[in-house]
Amino acid sequence: MRPMDYIVPESAEAAVAILAERGENACPLAGGTDLVVDLKHAPGNINALVDVSGLDEFRGIDVTDEGLRIGSMATYGEIMEHPVCLEKTPEVVAASHTVGAVQTRNLGTIGGNLVTCVPSADSAPALMVLDAEVTLIGTNGWRRMPIEDFFVGPRKTILEPYELLAEIWIPKHTLGKPSSFYKFGLRKGQALALVNAAAALELDGDRIVEPRIALGAVAPTPIRAVKAEALLDGQDVDAKLLDEAAQIAVTESKPIDDFRASKNYRRQLIRTLTRRVLERSVEIARKRQEQDKLH
Amino acid sequence: MLVELTVNGESRSANVPPETTLLKMLREHLGLTGAKLGCDVGDCGTCTVIVDGVSVNSCLMLAGRADGCDVTTIEGLATADDLHPLQQKFEEHGALQCGFCGPGMLISAKNLLDNNPDPSVFEVRDALAGNLCRCTGYTKIIEAVIEAGEMMSQEPANV
Repeated sequence: MRPMDYIVPESAEAAVAILAERGENACPLAGGTDLVVDLKHAPGNINALVDVSGLDEFRGIDVTDEGLRIGSMATYGEIMEHPVCLEKTPEVVAASHTVGAVQTRNLGTIGGNLVTCVPSADSAPALMVLDAEVTLIGTNGWRRMPIEDFFVGPRKTILEPYELLAEIWIPKHTLGKPSSFYKFGLRKGQALALVNAAAALELDGDRIVEPRIALGAVAPTPIRAVKAEALLDGQDVDAKLLDEAAQIAVTESKPIDDFRASKNYRRQLIRTLTRRVLERSVEIARKRQEQDKLH
Repeated sequence: MLVELTVNGESRSANVPPETTLLKMLREHLGLTGAKLGCDVGDCGTCTVIVDGVSVNSCLMLAGRADGCDVTTIEGLATADDLHPLQQKFEEHGALQCGFCGPGMLISAKNLLDNNPDPSVFEVRDALAGNLCRCTGYTKIIEAVIEAGEMMSQEPANV
């Protein structure tokens, strides 16, 4: 291995400038759970590591007037223990809990996981159903976009060269929104999802409001099942309707055959998991209605 | 680069190339060979150590990241006089067969009990999900961890 530089920048802007100056052989380092493995087995031409994990702009989890801000360098372990995440985004916590195992969750960051951009990333569907947004910083400054737009293809994000994922924002209006996440893997620990699914919705009486469905490991990127959402929007809850939406979600997916599961098996999982996360979200919304009545 | 850290209560330092993992620094620069090199990709957990209160795969953490941190390895569990309650219970239960997963199992279990002295079986299984035992001695390991938790709650002075 060639001699390597280890650089700890002072700010996010400085990190971008250093990456731009060093060119493509410099690599930003987050939790390292993927990159350190690459350094050992396929280092390529990497000659500098720019450690962005401690940058203030990328750290911390806090609530502002806009909503919940999760710094991209928050580890899954930190998210799982954060009181606001536990209270307001329990399904993001649940999704975080299904990533790897304790030791990898204490190193791995949510931002690093999203930038790696594998179709099965567990946090993605849980964030997508809460209308999460991401902020990026690059040589042209900051920009912000819905998280769906961040994913471009397998291991390909919208990030320009030398651009970094800074924050994940969950807007105020979806904090505490009834939601459900379900991952189907071959084991509970250290397993990639065959399919993962998340849903979120509000109930106005029996009427479904603002339904969201997101699926992972079923297409080149995590996806929203927008046609299934459209079917549900404004309709009264009904078991048959939820199953119909789940069937539509199957048609919106493009699962592949691989060594983990066949395409057909994944299709069946998509229908079952979508129905389950919808049913569970309805159940949570109903409980909320009952609690509101008591107060 | 110079990395200075506290290992099992002692200040230690070494000059290491930046791509050095914490595991390599512990084993090859500091002579602490308790944490084992297993899969080297973060799957098996036998390299597990505690860094500033959380357990990590030391094969995935660069040594530079641990600069200034407080590290506990398997060498930090027993005292000159006594084995740690976890080690005593692992011995009693025959919780180790070949023993290669032991350092990681014990450190993950210690980290669990430090934060949750009375874990359920589910919580123990969840805490050890990142530690693979290829002899498949999981049942005895889980029993040993539960009993060590009970022992540590009863005799806090010994811990």
